[in-house]
Amino acid sequence: MVEDKEFMPKILAFLCNWCSYAGADLAGTSRLKYPPSILPIRVMCSSRIDPLFIIKAYLGGADGVLVAGCHPGDCHYEKGNYYTRRRFALLKKIFEELNMEPDRLMLSWISASEGHKYARVATEFTEKIKKSGESSVKNKIFL
Amino acid sequence: MSKSKETSTIKTAVLPAKSGTKKAILDFLKNAMDKKNFDAVIIPMRVPAGDSFVYVLIKDVSLLKDAFPLSPVMSVQGARVVSSVTRLGKGDMKIAAVMRPCEIRATIELAKFGQVDLENVTLISMDCPGVMPISDFLSDPEKGMKLFDDAVTSWDDSIMRPVCKICDKSSMIAGDIHIGTLGAKKDTFFMIPKTQKGNDTLEKSDIKIDADLDEWHNKVTTLSEEKKKKRNSANKDLKVKTGGIDNLIDTFSQCINCHNCMKVCPICFCRLCYFDSENVKHSAENYLQIAENKGSIRFLPDTILFQTGRMMHMSVSCVSCGSCEDACPASIPVGQIFSMIADETQKAFDYVSGRDINEPTPLVAYKKDELHEMEDAHD
Amino acid sequence: MTKALKINKNAEQGIKEFLRFLLESGKVKGVFSLKKINKEGAVAYSLITDPKDLEDSVPFYPVMPVTAGSLLSRFTLKGSPDKPVVAVMRPCELRGFVELVKREQGSFENVFTISMTCGGVYPLDMAVDKKIEKNLPKYWDAVKKSEIPADVRTACKGCTEFKPYTADMTVDLVGNKDIDKQCIILLNTKNGESLADGMDAEFLEKKLDTKKLDVLLDKRAVEKKKLFDEIDKKMNGMDGLIDIFGRCIGCHGCMRVCPICYCKLCEFESPDSEYKPSNYNSELKKRGGVRVPPGTMYFQLGRLTHISISCVGCGACDDVCPVDIPVSTIFKKVGESVQKIFNYIPGKDVKESIPLVTFEKEEFIEFEE
Repeated sequence: MVEDKEFMPKILAFLCNWCSYAGADLAGTSRLKYPPSILPIRVMCSSRIDPLFIIKAYLGGADGVLVAGCHPGDCHYEKGNYYTRRRFALLKKIFEELNMEPDRLMLSWISASEGHKYARVATEFTEKIKKSGESSVKNKIFL
Repeated sequence: MSKSKETSTIKTAVLPAKSGTKKAILDFLKNAMDKKNFDAVIIPMRVPAGDSFVYVLIKDVSLLKDAFPLSPVMSVQGARVVSSVTRLGKGDMKIAAVMRPCEIRATIELAKFGQVDLENVTLISMDCPGVMPISDFLSDPEKGMKLFDDAVTSWDDSIMRPVCKICDKSSMIAGDIHIGTLGAKKDTFFMIPKTQKGNDTLEKSDIKIDADLDEWHNKVTTLSEEKKKKRNSANKDLKVKTGGIDNLIDTFSQCINCHNCMKVCPICFCRLCYFDSENVKHSAENYLQIAENKGSIRFLPDTILFQTGRMMHMSVSCVSCGSCEDACPASIPVGQIFSMIADETQKAFDYVSGRDINEPTPLVAYKKDELHEMEDAHD
Repeated sequence: MTKALKINKNAEQGIKEFLRFLLESGKVKGVFSLKKINKEGAVAYSLITDPKDLEDSVPFYPVMPVTAGSLLSRFTLKGSPDKPVVAVMRPCELRGFVELVKREQGSFENVFTISMTCGGVYPLDMAVDKKIEKNLPKYWDAVKKSEIPADVRTACKGCTEFKPYTADMTVDLVGNKDIDKQCIILLNTKNGESLADGMDAEFLEKKLDTKKLDVLLDKRAVEKKKLFDEIDKKMNGMDGLIDIFGRCIGCHGCMRVCPICYCKLCEFESPDSEYKPSNYNSELKKRGGVRVPPGTMYFQLGRLTHISISCVGCGACDDVCPVDIPVSTIFKKVGESVQKIFNYIPGKDVKESIPLVTFEKEEFIEFEE
């Protein structure tokens, strides 16, 4: 009998150092369960994230991209995440207009104490991506 | 022509092409990849929409069957492609690049400028009937395919780029191996090694290099001489049409300074072109002063400065590929003009762009005793 | 109602007379306008300082060889003029310049602008094929009737922003059936008024006939919807985009002629975007083959991300593309939808910040999870 290998998405998660990365750490130390789909990348602030990173990830074949930062008003650098929110809105709108699977992008605010939220977001996003299926972009040659 | 010196000593391989040259070339590449003589191939493929051809770096052998060694259009000059793959390092892949002679020549020029690392690259050229202007192909891709196939069969250049129609170097062996189709007996073609690397490549594929080149050489020489006559005549006409500052200004009157010509040119590799740099940007007062001297000036200014300046920078390495003319949105015959100038500037230095990788470009070398005809005679 | 100037000549003669007055009186030192630059009638923008050279100027010629916004940016980037200059440009060109000024790529200091209600321009290849002269009567006929002239740029056919926002002066062209005998120049600002002061012509109170403008607006909106719907059909994910952009040759002409793209070293031409051998190795491992040079889709998507917020829909990108990709339709469609979520009209107000450099404490909750 051939073992049916279930699709485990590859989700790139940009996590800000002060909040969401710490939150992810807390999920880990609390032994909270969430799927092994997340590939974390730590940035100092969510506003470091150039929309081009997300585009590169998408073109590189990432099944999903998660951007997580401090809650608006709580940014370690005072206002970085306000800009993040605008840039993300812009990028998501572009993906929508081009019919380019905007649901593969997610923005979430996760504080350092929200280990549970991190695990929940990771689990729910993974489920959502599983439903969307594997990204077809990862095999494309003529990009 | 140095060809006769080469061909009297060079031997060639003769290969069967029962199902056509295209299939035979792809089979050669596939076998070479299966044997691990090459790890990857740079070769044109048709885009999914079918309306153009682009170079693809192929590692998966199964993709080869969809490749087109001789594509109807040249969307990106092959030298730019080889540069994009090797400029930042030769890597560990052995790559075969299958391109037109002018693309190979431009690659050799770029190697002289440190923009290409050829150590792991085997350059394979072929007898070239020309390429179609990309806008002609785009207007009806299916018809374009058919027209091109017919043109290859009858070796007719009437549908090709204007500079292709007057190209006398369309069979020039500049790379490591040259695929010769002209003068070959029915259902065969030549694989002509020029360099040691070319020799080794063929030998590693168990291909015997023991035939004479005369058939190919004679056919190619005849065609080249015909083309040379056409070229000289076309250049003469063009010189009259565009010569003199007034004609030149008229020729470039529709130029919108988009710099597409510079961008697609394989020789223009500067990341920041001089003509985009601060050197050509002035303050409002400066511009007004220049305008006042003449009553009015075209804005953006310096169109002729850009064109003649670019000639100054790259004409000794120009390979007359015509990519510039394809890219010009104002249909200026810039490829023909630059080719005409390049012929003269290269002749003045007894230089042929891309002929020999060990030959330094004219402006980085000198002889103590030369070019006196350019100097004022004072004795 | 605004103060306006009425010159009893046809619109083009009228504006030229006004420009001559401005130069001769010394009120301005230079005029930017389209001008015939040779016997064959090739038209290009020129900086004119001698009133005599205004003879050959054709300020309303329906062609846009260069976007005047980029032109003014180049003119003022290294220092503003000491005395005023005036520029005659189309609404989208002016909006482009406003967006550039917001990005500190130009200045309005001593630069005054004359715009017009715009009937559109013909694409560059019509100018190159010398087809514009014989189309002029049809063109002006359409403008007078608030219709879209046949064969103008795709971007113009669907342009709903043909009324200038920030011009010092606006020439009343669209829907004005009297443009063969009079030139009406609305003086929108104090600068406009002071420039016109002393001109030997009738001054009156006037405003643009919005009914006539709305007639054209409706037609343009219909065209725009048609264009957007057409391109929408092709937008089926990455495959659709590869079909549209597959033939892109990477000349980056679209980027160079775009008024908003001002970066001296574009991200997509910088070392950041160059592939190292290790990049090729990993791409080949994934895909078996990779188009070279790489980054065609990355460039298009990336440029969309960078400029869509300020896209003024001029259509210069369409004109320059050697392989006829409908760049302006895509950029305009995406541009308008991202501008809408920020309630932003590029070029409307030089004091309005670009949406990405500002924020509200509470907004876009719908984008968060």
